[in-house]
Amino acid sequence: MSDRELLAQGEDILSREALYIDMRRWEEWIALYHEDAIFWAPAWRNDEELTENVKREISLFYFESRAGIEDRVWRIETKKAPALWPLARTTHVIANPIFETPPSETEMTIHSAWTCHTYSLRDRSQHAFFGRYEHDFKKFDGAWRITRKKVILMNDYIPAVIDVFCV
Amino acid sequence: MRFADPSQYIMDDPEKGVFRVHRDVYTDQELFEMELKNIFEGTWVYLCHDSQVLNPFDFYCTRIGIRSVIVSRDKNGDLHAFYNTCRHRGATLCQTETGNTKYHVCNYHGWAYDAAGKNIDIKDKDKGCYTDAFDEQDHNLIPLPRFDSYHGLIFASLNPDVPTLEEHLGEAKILLDLVAEQSPNGMEVVPGRSDYTYSANWKMQMDNGMDPYHLTSTHTTFMKVVQRRQDGESDNEQVTSPDFRDRFTMAAGMYTFKNGHSMIWNDHPKPETMPFWGMIEDVRNQVGDEKAKWMARSRNITIFPNLQFNDSTSLVLRTFIPHAPNLTEMKVYSFAPIDEPDDLRTIRVRQHEDFFNSSGMATPDDTICYSDCQEGYNAFPDDYLQSFERGMGNLIFGPDEEAQKLGFVPETSLLGTFLDQGETSYHGPYREWARLMRAGHNKEQPLAGE
Repeated sequence: MSDRELLAQGEDILSREALYIDMRRWEEWIALYHEDAIFWAPAWRNDEELTENVKREISLFYFESRAGIEDRVWRIETKKAPALWPLARTTHVIANPIFETPPSETEMTIHSAWTCHTYSLRDRSQHAFFGRYEHDFKKFDGAWRITRKKVILMNDYIPAVIDVFCV
Repeated sequence: MRFADPSQYIMDDPEKGVFRVHRDVYTDQELFEMELKNIFEGTWVYLCHDSQVLNPFDFYCTRIGIRSVIVSRDKNGDLHAFYNTCRHRGATLCQTETGNTKYHVCNYHGWAYDAAGKNIDIKDKDKGCYTDAFDEQDHNLIPLPRFDSYHGLIFASLNPDVPTLEEHLGEAKILLDLVAEQSPNGMEVVPGRSDYTYSANWKMQMDNGMDPYHLTSTHTTFMKVVQRRQDGESDNEQVTSPDFRDRFTMAAGMYTFKNGHSMIWNDHPKPETMPFWGMIEDVRNQVGDEKAKWMARSRNITIFPNLQFNDSTSLVLRTFIPHAPNLTEMKVYSFAPIDEPDDLRTIRVRQHEDFFNSSGMATPDDTICYSDCQEGYNAFPDDYLQSFERGMGNLIFGPDEEAQKLGFVPETSLLGTFLDQGETSYHGPYREWARLMRAGHNKEQPLAGE
């Protein structure tokens, strides 16, 4: 399979992730991830550098399995968390997907740019989070699953609420 | 302003069991400007920790209220603090939060200062035809009037007419000792910042940091997530916070101190889940049994007006910067022993991320409640809040038995169990608020008979 075809397959999953989050199709979203998938958004160490050592430094999110996302989704679905109800509407736009390392038929990493517009129903305020993604994909039983998602949040000055559905 | 004397916004009559705070203190623009002047520029405020300016030429740039300031370590290792503004045209010298530089050179006309704030170059001075009058001026960076640290926690006062930092902290020094002495090698700010804003008054954060009463309502989903993990309903095994319900019947209490400081505490159901516990034997040998016992308790500390520690699932350092009556900036860090072993540090950072981060599962629920309050104050401004009197029937003036055992003397104590969820912790900070606001007011327009 050509790189172009592999990229198209990965892009399809990136677009599905955006669709499922924005349309609150949580189960389908989670199913894109392998059970052992890492979900990581490093924090900024200073104005120029991100944290790197997840054992000793703070991340915005660091889940070493999919269960970390599942906890967050559970919390959203209770409609009992003040920050998450009413839940902000979101629209994710993902662009500029590219390989930085050669893909194979069973493993690939796609780098992309993202923005997530959020609309808070509480106070009618809008915000745009934006940054870069790295998605690692592996093939299991003939289907691609996300095994790692790294999120770089460029604007880490957060208006009160951010959660996994905003990045 | 509704009242001529700002202290009238606080109804403080413990004999009658009354302590009430007017809603206007969170919304009124004029009061807010008085707070900047009389509190943030009127007393000691927290700036940063030693570990954020560890090496020669490190600097840290922050704000005291609306004033941009620089903390800088010079070539000899001595710390200095200046206003972040060039003497020439006034431009800021630091535009990044942190950095390391031998010289602060102004972008605009190139005046240069060393890390001690001394002016070392006025660009092209020899061609400047300056007069003697110019040379007679002090060209160095303007130092903050008072500057000092306690256990590496760096404070400054823009008002020169304040007691020493040591006196300002007073009996509340023990609160910081219990944080700072958790490691024989000292403590550090863990890399990785969580900066956020919320649309409400700065005192909402101050209050929340000494409020045991909101846990079982604001944080029900967080408590439930922890339960689900323990019951195996969630597969998340990376965070080990104990079930919060186990605290409910355990000993708890709160103290207020002179100059506005406070602490709430409760016995920890499983201190062995605290990252600090991994070094407990070393710590106990260093500080003794009584202090070690207190370190193993959950404690929330407020050093008035803008420093808070919350030592529960892990240890968090919070400071806040007021921008407007309804806008506050937060800076939040995990605080940890230097040389902490990897396994303990990992527990610490995961628990911090889970609960305290703005991206965590507890903090955003708090901050959203602050903005709901702010909106509620607008809905009906003409009243005093009823959120300061829980526990007043049991209030002890002076130290309770727990304070006596450790040997510190608070102004007030409250002792019971967690579900008592008292509100007397607020009294100290709001008394100090009223004192500073009244003092500032009186300086400008003395009231009759004063």
